[in-house]
Amino acid sequence: MEEALIAQYHPADEMRCPIHFCIGQEAVPAALSLLLKPEDYLFSHHRTHGYYFAKGAPLRELFAEIYGRATGANGGLAGSQDISHTESRFFGGAILAGAVCIAAGAAFGLQHQKAKGISVAGFGEGATDEGAFWEAVNHAGAKSLPILFVVENNRYATFSDQLKRQQTDNIAERVAPFGVKSQSLFGNDAPLVWKTLSQAVNSVRNGSGPMLVEAYTYRWNSHVGPEDDGFNKYRPQREIDFWKRNCPISLLRQKLEKLDWIDNGEVSQMESEIAGEIAECFAFAKASPFPSEANWHSRNFSNATPVADALLAEEESTDFNPSQGEAKLAPY
Amino acid sequence: MNRSISYAEAIREATDQALGLSDQVIVLGQLVDTPSGIFGTTTGLAEKHGADRVQDYPVSENLMTAAALGAALTGLRPVVCHQRLDFMIYSMDAITNWLALWRFKSNGKSGVPVTIRAIVGKGWGQGPQHSKSLHAWFAHLPGLRVAMPATAFDAKGLLLESIFGEDPTIIIEGRGLFSMKEEVPEKPYRVRFGKALIRRVGRDATLVALGSMVPPAMRAAEILAQEGISVEVIDPRTISPLDRPAILESVSKTGHLVVAEPGWQSFGAAAEIIAAVAENPASGLKSPPVRVNFPDSHTPMSMALEKLYYPGEQEIAEAVRGTLKKS
Ligand SMILES: Cc1ncc(C[n+]2csc(CCOP(=O)(O)OP(=O)(O)O)c2C)c(N)n1
Ligand SMILES: [Mg+2]
Repeated sequence: MEEALIAQYHPADEMRCPIHFCIGQEAVPAALSLLLKPEDYLFSHHRTHGYYFAKGAPLRELFAEIYGRATGANGGLAGSQDISHTESRFFGGAILAGAVCIAAGAAFGLQHQKAKGISVAGFGEGATDEGAFWEAVNHAGAKSLPILFVVENNRYATFSDQLKRQQTDNIAERVAPFGVKSQSLFGNDAPLVWKTLSQAVNSVRNGSGPMLVEAYTYRWNSHVGPEDDGFNKYRPQREIDFWKRNCPISLLRQKLEKLDWIDNGEVSQMESEIAGEIAECFAFAKASPFPSEANWHSRNFSNATPVADALLAEEESTDFNPSQGEAKLAPY
Repeated sequence: MNRSISYAEAIREATDQALGLSDQVIVLGQLVDTPSGIFGTTTGLAEKHGADRVQDYPVSENLMTAAALGAALTGLRPVVCHQRLDFMIYSMDAITNWLALWRFKSNGKSGVPVTIRAIVGKGWGQGPQHSKSLHAWFAHLPGLRVAMPATAFDAKGLLLESIFGEDPTIIIEGRGLFSMKEEVPEKPYRVRFGKALIRRVGRDATLVALGSMVPPAMRAAEILAQEGISVEVIDPRTISPLDRPAILESVSKTGHLVVAEPGWQSFGAAAEIIAAVAENPASGLKSPPVRVNFPDSHTPMSMALEKLYYPGEQEIAEAVRGTLKKS
């Protein structure tokens, strides 16, 4: 899907928004897609596509959103990096660590109402530079919240190496003293990723408190967009080569072929089904209308107050006496 | 006949009733569960409704606001309390990048009814980090409603309207107002957003006063009445939305406008109100409008300088006399 989007990105310049592709980082969202339930909440950072997919949100609405069409998941208002799909309980956003804090709040809301479901936050190691991230970790540990933190540690925040920004590259170890159980792993081994996340999801689901899984992985593309950002010279070529040799999809395919669980015919059938679905998504997006109505006010504010209407009376105030002295202040 | 209760008691009563009316309502904030209870506005509520519903929160203002949003997604209606507005500056990301734009970003599919109570200190040496009223900052943001209740009646009605409304709201509460009493109905009621109240009817000048400037503005109108000047005092009660029609109508009658705002002058709410009037070709303005604000300076601690810093009824009255002379 990401490769197909890249192929279409430039020719017509119809996708006019920043896109952070997740090629090379497919294992984590793919595993989550098998583990999450409709009642779960998933909050994603700017690299949204994998997580959007993981929560089962409709792909054609993702494509239409990127194309800025009225049929997009958010009517073309949000784009790739801010996309959400309310019905699927999937919410993304580009401001680092903001969505992690919201995820902690959703976990609190679920716990408070004794509701089914867990809250999952997916983000990169860059978000852990932010103080707000640690506020969320602290509260999750203190309240034993039903939240799973998933860090895709691809070592870089845009062009900046983690070890330029942090003293160590092990976030999993650092959350443990907060009361957040944690596990780190090689994030490109899809079966291992599935197994680890499956245990983590179950643990959170069973009420054993918050967990953090740190998956070491790598993005193949530039930080954003399909253009090559290699001129910033922030990643050594042999590092890129190593991770490309360890492509999560190729590794999985090799493993399945070795076990004789899959053959070439099945793979090409799968590939052509996926290609068909992607073609359908492109067609849907391109055939969809652009949003046309401005209606700025109702885009930003609600037009109705049904709950207030049901619960509150209308009253008029009587005369206020303005000659009363102001309150004397005290510290508390 | 309604009883007279204080601004602080009105807030407490509204919160108590909201907690009773709906299980969805929760209160979060530092020390909300203690006997002092945010200057008496939450006292006893944790005992009555449970410490999980009236919950002491870590000193993590950014998280608290973002978490309130997340909790709202699961169906709750959180009320977030800050002892001082200055503390909530840590939550500017949650407010600006998430709360205010949540409805827009989701294309109207998801709303987050989060209420933020922000108390503004005044006097007794609050100094520069316990006295800021940044209402104009917040009113600048689309998607966020900003209320500035001046009296006990409005404090209760606006808080309830906010809690049971569908949009995120910041309520700016002047700490100096907390002791002031007014007749307040016992039942839960609403004060609509964007509906100004004419607190005194007059012919000669329109005096728009916001939040904690309302009592001194009304006292100024009293002083001026004795001089034969009839002032119409308008309290917009909320600045987002702002009841521009009510202000325009009054100015078209009086021809003169003074705005008293409890905050810095430059780029403030008074400037917005004056612009709304001046932009209107039929405004009927007969003299240049005048603003009464705090100086464009941080708040001093020393009581000697506090007296020079905060304008009161004399300064407001003088501003009205000035506009009338200029016509
Ligand atoms: C608060 C904030 N500061 C800065 C940025 C700009 N920014 C966008 S992505 C990014 C790096 C993110 O790195 P990481 O969290 O590791 O995720 P990755 O892109 O590697 O998947 C930065 C700094 C931002 N989006 N938000
Ligand atoms: Mg990274």
